[in-house]
Amino acid sequence: MTKSIQKELRFPQPPVQVWQAITDSATLAEWMFPNDFEPRVGHRFTFRVPPNPQTRFDGIVVHCEVLDCQPSSRLAFSWSAGELENTRVEFRLEPDGGGTRVYFEHSGFNLSAAFGEQAFRGAEYGWAKMLKQLADVLEPSATGH
Amino acid sequence: MVRLADREQAVFGAISHPARRRMLDLLVADDRSVNAIAGHFKMSRPAVSQHLRILLDAGLLTEQRHGRERRYRSVPEQLGPVRNWLAHYERFWDDRLGRLEKVLARRSKQ
Repeated sequence: MTKSIQKELRFPQPPVQVWQAITDSATLAEWMFPNDFEPRVGHRFTFRVPPNPQTRFDGIVVHCEVLDCQPSSRLAFSWSAGELENTRVEFRLEPDGGGTRVYFEHSGFNLSAAFGEQAFRGAEYGWAKMLKQLADVLEPSATGH
Repeated sequence: MVRLADREQAVFGAISHPARRRMLDLLVADDRSVNAIAGHFKMSRPAVSQHLRILLDAGLLTEQRHGRERRYRSVPEQLGPVRNWLAHYERFWDDRLGRLEKVLARRSKQ
């Protein structure tokens, strides 16, 4: 029961520019969240998703570790948030004309492991809560842009 | 709302046990009797029945009488809450990657 989310995108900017946008901490914060990312394998970092009092979302911290880092070509990091343990986020960049083709994948949604007994101890901290938090994270940005 | 949360919890609770997940996998392709299902597990038949009951209560299985025996079959579409959760992440990345596109466009202009 492992699933992944895959996206293929094309950007008019060259790989070096796309690489900068996904690996420079400040730029990364502009489209993701505040972070202490550094582009080197083994570096542990977090994304701090801020609270939103309007939707009564208390914020969430995503724990990550850089797994692969090949300039202008490949970036992968682990992604653990809430009950979601050790999933993998990967960006693969390929030159395409003057632009860049990006193969994005968020994999390792190991539903079997994630749905282990511990994940469901108590109603409050189960998946329902994570689901709600994610929905709340999405709401402000969906309307704000 | 309460009902939806209860249902989500029932579904997540039902698939939280490895044996029940295997039962679901087993019943995707084919409907089977308790005995046929029990043949795949080391646990006792009553234990198998108990797991099937939990899956039934969560709406993940249907039960049909075939003569003297009852046959079980999975209802994959009932795994909606699980899929919703992936759909939320899908939306999340669509949103974030859209923002990345805008950041890049803005920088190229500078």
